[in-house]
Amino acid sequence: MSARLRNILLWVVALAALILLPQVVEDRYFMHIAVMAGIFTILTLSWNLLAGYTGQLNLGHAAFYGIGAYTSAILAMQTGLSPWLGLFAGGLVAALFGLMLGFPALRLSGPYLAITTIGFAEILRLVAMNWVDLTRGSLGLSGVPLLTPIQIGDFRMQFYFERDYYYVVLAAVLFTLFCIRRLIGSEFGVTLQAMRDDEAGAQSIGINPSSYKLAVFTISAFFAGFAGGLFAHFARLVSPELLALHNTFDVLTMAMIGGLGTIAGPILGAVSLTILSEALRSMEEVLKIDIRLIVYGLLLILTILFMREGLVGVIKNVWARVKGDS
Amino acid sequence: MDSLFLQQVLNGLITGSVYSLIAIGLTMIFGVMKISNFAQGDYSMVGAYTAVFVMAWVGGWLGWIGSVVAAAAVVGLLGVVTERLVFRPLMTRWTDIDMIMVSIGLFILLDNLAQLFFGATPRMIGDPFGGTTVDLGVASTSLLRLFCFFFAGITIFCLELFLNRSRMGVAIRATSQNRFAAQLMGIDINQVYRITFGVGALLAGVGGVLYGTLFAIYPTMGALPTLKAFAVTILGGMGNIRGAIWGGLILGVAEALGGNYIAMEYKQAIGFFIIILVLLVKPSGLFGRKEGA
Repeated sequence: MSARLRNILLWVVALAALILLPQVVEDRYFMHIAVMAGIFTILTLSWNLLAGYTGQLNLGHAAFYGIGAYTSAILAMQTGLSPWLGLFAGGLVAALFGLMLGFPALRLSGPYLAITTIGFAEILRLVAMNWVDLTRGSLGLSGVPLLTPIQIGDFRMQFYFERDYYYVVLAAVLFTLFCIRRLIGSEFGVTLQAMRDDEAGAQSIGINPSSYKLAVFTISAFFAGFAGGLFAHFARLVSPELLALHNTFDVLTMAMIGGLGTIAGPILGAVSLTILSEALRSMEEVLKIDIRLIVYGLLLILTILFMREGLVGVIKNVWARVKGDS
Repeated sequence: MDSLFLQQVLNGLITGSVYSLIAIGLTMIFGVMKISNFAQGDYSMVGAYTAVFVMAWVGGWLGWIGSVVAAAAVVGLLGVVTERLVFRPLMTRWTDIDMIMVSIGLFILLDNLAQLFFGATPRMIGDPFGGTTVDLGVASTSLLRLFCFFFAGITIFCLELFLNRSRMGVAIRATSQNRFAAQLMGIDINQVYRITFGVGALLAGVGGVLYGTLFAIYPTMGALPTLKAFAVTILGGMGNIRGAIWGGLILGVAEALGGNYIAMEYKQAIGFFIIILVLLVKPSGLFGRKEGA
């Protein structure tokens, strides 16, 4: 069997399993977790696009997530715009902010960029807290409308249960994955990696790093905003908490543990950490304490110290050893 | 100038002196080791909690002084231990991203361990002066706050003495100027790292006692001093100690005035506005890039 055929087969099997999952597992709570895992997958993929492929550390990613959520929620509640369009509107507004932040951020790197992006997110979080007329402040916007039903001929799909949202988020993850894979595989993506590894070298062959970085900043923000819109119509509650630093830290931990600068890494990281955090939450009843974030912090440190390539690297190594033995 | 203005300036200088102290630790570590330590504010948190326990145990004057000594010892040790376990292994193969992220991991870990051990209830360090106020004519403040200001000043003075007069201090400054030349002169670089990190953490710990004297103490309090310290450090130029002293005072006063005259709700954002402004206009900080430490 050729490698290409095997790859396609693998994809088909994985996809079929994901589509059939809600038919096997009926538990609503489980479906809720699956939806959140999907939303975090999109966030982590988009964060990794910037950090993993251009080496720029954006610690304000949660701001784009929040901007998307607020935009989509406010548009649906005040202008009656269809939430389906709202998802993309949220992404576009987030992208606009990404472009805005991208300009000054271009000249910065390392700690300077990190702290500027934190500042950006914190300022916007304070705006969301204090612009009460628009955002209802720290109470947040509750009762965000559900996604509207889709009617194609006789087929009518309503979006009411977690399971319905599961399919929406699955489609959204596939859409994101498709776009990012295309981007990374293209000449654009190769240029990015060349820039990350040797910026001066890339410049010497006529690449203008600024415009590339700006483009990635904007695209990364778009998908974060898109994920925010999904969350808004799923959770039906949008609050300034979405823009808080700890959300960015969650995303960063997921990307790092999965494997920075890969495509499979963020997916692996987001899904496995979401499941782990739910497992730890259920342990809370036994232990009487919340050890979820203690484990996150520890895992992040250990990953950077001992498995810099993340889970993807571990799997690759194991795979190579298995192949070598047989 | 009305008295409210001067009052705010005084309040700002007092808070600012504490920012300076915490930021000096951060800027020292950056200057010598090129590490941006996002867990710096958590050292302050540990220092503040150390003070809470010492004060509950001894209390009064003696307790306050004991708190500072205990915080310096505990946090200094914590700094040395984290340097050895978390940062040192990365010194040979670091990238900016790795260093920042490992410190974020430490930040998450310490924050949540504190929540586990200390509980979410806010604590206070008592006032050994029993709430005495001082009238300076144009403005007034509590004796305790004034004392904090002077104590921060004394600590910074001691640090300057250490850096300028002691053998180790000179080694630290030499390393921050040129790591390789320092090594060639026979300086034990690992020893320098250990001491720098220990002293940097210790300053944040002592700063934490003062911070906890001025503000409430809770497990996740560390994020604010971290962010403030970064704002101060960027304002003064990363790695520049004198810059951090002035940067702290400027940020403190800017916050007090901005909170009063512009918008109280955005007081915590003023530092970020300053950072963004500084980075756009003069990225090397207000005080240029003198040789570090």
